[in-house]
Amino acid sequence: MKLVKAIVRPNKVDEVRDALEKLNVGGMTVTEVRGHGRQKGHTAIYRGREYDVTLLPKICIDVVVTNNVIEEVIQGIIHAARTGEIGDGRVFVLPVEGSYNIRTGEQDAS
Amino acid sequence: MTRPATGARDVAPDDRAPRGAAEGDEKLTRAQLAASLGAFRREFALQARRGDGGRALQERHADVMDGVVRHLVDAASVHTPKPFVVCALGGYGRRTLCLHSDVDLMILFEEEIGRDEERFVNAVLQPLWDLQLVVGHQIRELSDFEHLESGNTEFLLAALDARPIAGRHGLFDRVRARVAGLIAADRQSAVEALLTLIEARHAQFNGTIYQLEPDIKNAPGGLRDIAALRYLQTLGGEVFEADRLRTAGAIEAAEDFLLIVRGVLHAESGRDANVLTHELQERVADAMGFEGAGARERVEALMGAYFRSARGTARALARSQRTARPHAERQAPTPVGRQFEIAADGIAFTDAAMAADRPSLWIELFRLALTEGCAVSEAALDCIEENVRRYTADDFSATEGDRQALRSLFNPRPGLYARLSEMHDCGLLNRVLPEFEGIHCRVIRDFHHKYTVDEHTLLTTRGLETLWNPSTPGRRRFGMLLEELRMPEGLALALMLHDIGKAGEGDHAPESARLARTALDRLDVPADARHAIEFLVRNHLAMSQVAFRRDLDDPHVVAQFAHLVGTEELLKMLCLMTLVDVEAVSSTTLTPWKEELLWRLYVETYNQLTLGYGDELVPQDPAGLAVVIAGRPGDIAEAELTQFLEGLPRRYLALFGLASIYRHVRLARGIRRDEVHAILENHDDVWELTIVTLDKPGLFSNIAGVLSYFGMDIHRGQAMTTPVGLVLDVFEFSDEQAFLRQNPGATGEITRMLDRVVAGWVDVPGLLRGRLQSVLYRRRHSEPARLHFDNEHSQKYTVLEVVADDAPGLLHRVSRVVWEQGCDLELALIATEGRRAVDVLHLTRAGKKLVESERNTLKHELERVLEASDETR
Repeated sequence: MKLVKAIVRPNKVDEVRDALEKLNVGGMTVTEVRGHGRQKGHTAIYRGREYDVTLLPKICIDVVVTNNVIEEVIQGIIHAARTGEIGDGRVFVLPVEGSYNIRTGEQDAS
Repeated sequence: MTRPATGARDVAPDDRAPRGAAEGDEKLTRAQLAASLGAFRREFALQARRGDGGRALQERHADVMDGVVRHLVDAASVHTPKPFVVCALGGYGRRTLCLHSDVDLMILFEEEIGRDEERFVNAVLQPLWDLQLVVGHQIRELSDFEHLESGNTEFLLAALDARPIAGRHGLFDRVRARVAGLIAADRQSAVEALLTLIEARHAQFNGTIYQLEPDIKNAPGGLRDIAALRYLQTLGGEVFEADRLRTAGAIEAAEDFLLIVRGVLHAESGRDANVLTHELQERVADAMGFEGAGARERVEALMGAYFRSARGTARALARSQRTARPHAERQAPTPVGRQFEIAADGIAFTDAAMAADRPSLWIELFRLALTEGCAVSEAALDCIEENVRRYTADDFSATEGDRQALRSLFNPRPGLYARLSEMHDCGLLNRVLPEFEGIHCRVIRDFHHKYTVDEHTLLTTRGLETLWNPSTPGRRRFGMLLEELRMPEGLALALMLHDIGKAGEGDHAPESARLARTALDRLDVPADARHAIEFLVRNHLAMSQVAFRRDLDDPHVVAQFAHLVGTEELLKMLCLMTLVDVEAVSSTTLTPWKEELLWRLYVETYNQLTLGYGDELVPQDPAGLAVVIAGRPGDIAEAELTQFLEGLPRRYLALFGLASIYRHVRLARGIRRDEVHAILENHDDVWELTIVTLDKPGLFSNIAGVLSYFGMDIHRGQAMTTPVGLVLDVFEFSDEQAFLRQNPGATGEITRMLDRVVAGWVDVPGLLRGRLQSVLYRRRHSEPARLHFDNEHSQKYTVLEVVADDAPGLLHRVSRVVWEQGCDLELALIATEGRRAVDVLHLTRAGKKLVESERNTLKHELERVLEASDETR
């Protein structure tokens, strides 16, 4: 199993969720985050005064998926979240040792 | 050594006789004890599910538990020869022991605790744990209380509820005497500490009883508040006697209600659950026999009863909290006019009997409370509550004075939330705004909302209030927007109306807008404020949808949103509305993340409205144009109208209502070179000058100069020039030196001066030279001016933003430099935000945007002039 951690634009959450649903990804965790990558924020001007917006609002989507669908999931996220502009975000993939259902105590198949 | 008497034998004979399966039989085995207690608790669960798990059953439960504890204490007493007493604490001490409540015990030894006493404690507690009870325990020596301090509030309160179960009563009496002495010696410290605890607990619940899923134990109006009220009345002594007598019956009833609810919660959840969740509300409503056609109606009946109970408790506690304030703060009533006085607990009627028949005084009472920064007294609230049903909404809005008083009541300022809450609690708010009644205690279940619809609405006004004193830099920027609003009371009124459509099902925003129109009619809200309020109510969800769900990097998204709001004023109002609306959903909904996105959309849209509006002309808004054409009066032909509008920016339609537009058309009729057609009129404290003329070099600067010459302080303005050279300028200004007010012929003098200036007969700089250096015009300089050129937002114009300390003649000086540098001023937005002037000028030079060298030269000249003018001040 893999943990897929996708940092995407806030307005892309619905599209990513739809893409994951089509891939039968059962659950996800969505977190409001702020940060920057290559985008490094931007300079905004309000009433003649410049100010730096260094940490941009993004959404972090966490999903745990089995190894056999990992490539589809990554491509699905990338396809759904891409605009082609700087600031589209990142997808990280991490190994998962195990996964358990708290209600039943059952371990999920890897 | 003689073995001292055991605790069990020492229990006072007047202790309540144990009842139930575990009672009286000291030879019961632990298994039998578990079986009999289990049987009782199963019976408890059955009865609680039927809504019979209230006070009587909980007292029986406490008695049964007493029997269990006594049995264990008696058996364990062989371990220690030292005197002890075992006491019940907390709810158990008060004999309201719910099914899964903690069993809180204090075991107190007269002497030092040794290994024998530890064995005794273990022998008492271990079996209780084996019975799957959650046991809270304090093990104490009597010497612990020798240095007991009044600041140890938790223990003092526990001692007030402590009840000896087993052991030597005399030992407990000594502790009780010590606590009583401590309280008597420093009553106020104990009270203050208790007040602090209450406030801290309330803060966890945002200080409101109106939780959609209330914690019936800890939330305001819950069981802890009832306990706290009794503690206050006990600690406070005689001063609370009147409060206690007044509230005892209602508080007892509220507690009975909550105990029954809690019984169901424990029985249904199988644990010490005190949150009346959506899921459990249906079961509690059914268990308690609330009636209704469907589950929703039954739940609403239950929650209505809950909120009434909680409100009564919260009011009683609030009254006691006020009574508990130090005596120094309580003074003799101070008269406020003839009808009111400020008493210890707030503003009151001097003659309640007379006030009962004069509802206009009630509104005045709340207005004064806001002005004076005090609460409304309990006596006044009672008077209103007793009489409010005698009057209808029309009785509160019969005259223009009544309507004006009501409208101004909503001006956001410190105390507004508290006063509106008082109005709501005593029934006045629902009378004044009957549209509000539909959302009274309205429960709408969704994943995010934590409060009833009415409370959510009131909390939005609290959000506005806090923006006057923002706590973070992030909030400060929103606070600045509030300071800049022209009609903040319009925003507060829009907030009061924004969710009234939730009384029904379906899409609530349009329904809220429909209902709002009735309220606005009744309050006779002026047209411009009415337009803004209706817009805000109808579109109150729009900004959050764009900010949190759309791509703010997409210029089309921002442009579309800018078209929706139309003007900076509506943008600011909608931004603030969104902020406080999201914040009032729950204490965690408005994150810095959301604030940042909201602010970003605000800035992008503001820039679009002020920097980028010049490229779009009226014909690009066919829908808006069609409305203007369709509504035109008979004296205006369609051709005349379209000819007037075709060169004006699209923004013009958003800025002006139909009546103003038609007036402008008439004003433009027959205009010739070197002529000016003007209307100068007064609106409350603000004057408005509307000018139509034909463009000529330096025109704008000269007109601004005329207003400065007459001492007018320009607040805002719009200047528009069409491609065919028609100029429409509208200025709003205040008559700071009362020139217009004190001179009957002053308006004529100003318009004649405008005629002469436009005709080129007057040298305006010469006219102003001496005047602007007068001592009357000197103002303190606080911050250097900022100049910013934007060559990106508009395809046709270079946009110059000037942000500087507001000063007489500033606009004239800036626009004169622009003209002297060979630039044409095509469009101008003039605003004064606090003490800062924010002027946005759309410029061309020879019909084109300014190139870099031209911008640099202009900037240099402007800086020179602005610095020079600073020095003269």
